[in-house]
Amino acid sequence: MVEQVREHVRKLLTEGQISAFLGLRDQDGNIVPYVFEKPEDLDDGFTLGEVEGALPARYPLAKLLMVLVSADPEKKFGMLVRGCDERALYELVRWNQLPGAADRFVKVGFACPQELADAHECRKPFPDECVAGEKAQPVMNASVKELDAKDLPERLEYWSRVFDRCIKCYGCRDVCPVCFCNVCTLEENALIRTGDLPPENPIFHLTRAAHMAGRCIDCNLCTEVCPAEIPLRTLYKKVAEIVQEEFGYVTGEPGDAKSPLNFLGPDPGHTSAHD
Amino acid sequence: MTVKRIGFMQKLLAFSGVDPERLLLKWVSSAEGPRFAKVVTEFTEKIRSLGPSPLADARAGRQPAAKTSAEAS
Repeated sequence: MVEQVREHVRKLLTEGQISAFLGLRDQDGNIVPYVFEKPEDLDDGFTLGEVEGALPARYPLAKLLMVLVSADPEKKFGMLVRGCDERALYELVRWNQLPGAADRFVKVGFACPQELADAHECRKPFPDECVAGEKAQPVMNASVKELDAKDLPERLEYWSRVFDRCIKCYGCRDVCPVCFCNVCTLEENALIRTGDLPPENPIFHLTRAAHMAGRCIDCNLCTEVCPAEIPLRTLYKKVAEIVQEEFGYVTGEPGDAKSPLNFLGPDPGHTSAHD
Repeated sequence: MTVKRIGFMQKLLAFSGVDPERLLLKWVSSAEGPRFAKVVTEFTEKIRSLGPSPLADARAGRQPAAKTSAEAS
């Protein structure tokens, strides 16, 4: 599979369709994001992130592309995309974070194996167009339903327990491909008391959850990086569910629909303003 | 925008185990003094009937434990 992708990228670079390719490189056994500028660079460590005996290494490449695109307005970039990376790109375009978007990057997509889709309960483990790989089956998440079935005190007990493991490393925010604000509420003492461990809960995590409404593209990187193993996926899956119920909006899809919390617009159908 | 966020937030609170009835949004103009008093009084009564926030309990339960471990170290 890696050969197919590599040759596709080589063609894009050689023909000058892109000036650089954002992908992954195996550097002495460590997989890191890397910008390949010449076709011959591809022969040195080009990888899709496969790790022996573990799940493939993933990175928020869309977030890095955002930096590259704004730092180098002349260049057109290619990018390695899984289903989740593509959703992130679509969402960033909708939030105007990739100026001149469609003309500025070329997606090189490949499908994830079923094993990875299962591990992250991925709703679409493949991009719209795949250069390589067999499309795996989407996986539904069961944990939201499980929690929904409990009563309020049980849910509070559950979240208090898992949130209190938080060491406030900000890993969930830093790895998030769609966290792009320059100023972050999570660091504002006036809003969330700073200097406490665990952080003020559930305020800390619910604030982030509220900010991810209409943005989170369900890549599950936050859950993957969390050193305290907080099941953030469950929280953000619920966020996505509520956003769909309230606004009929689904994140990470193509088109120029606006995220519902990004514009003043129609009421969500019920308000307490007119009672 | 606030109207949009409140509906969302109530559902998120419910999922997190906090009674969504504890969050209320009402529009009151600065010219509507009596209405303001009525809205606030009603909400205060409702909150009183719901009792102390379960989050206060959760936090209170955590504090001594945190102190003990600090003292031990």
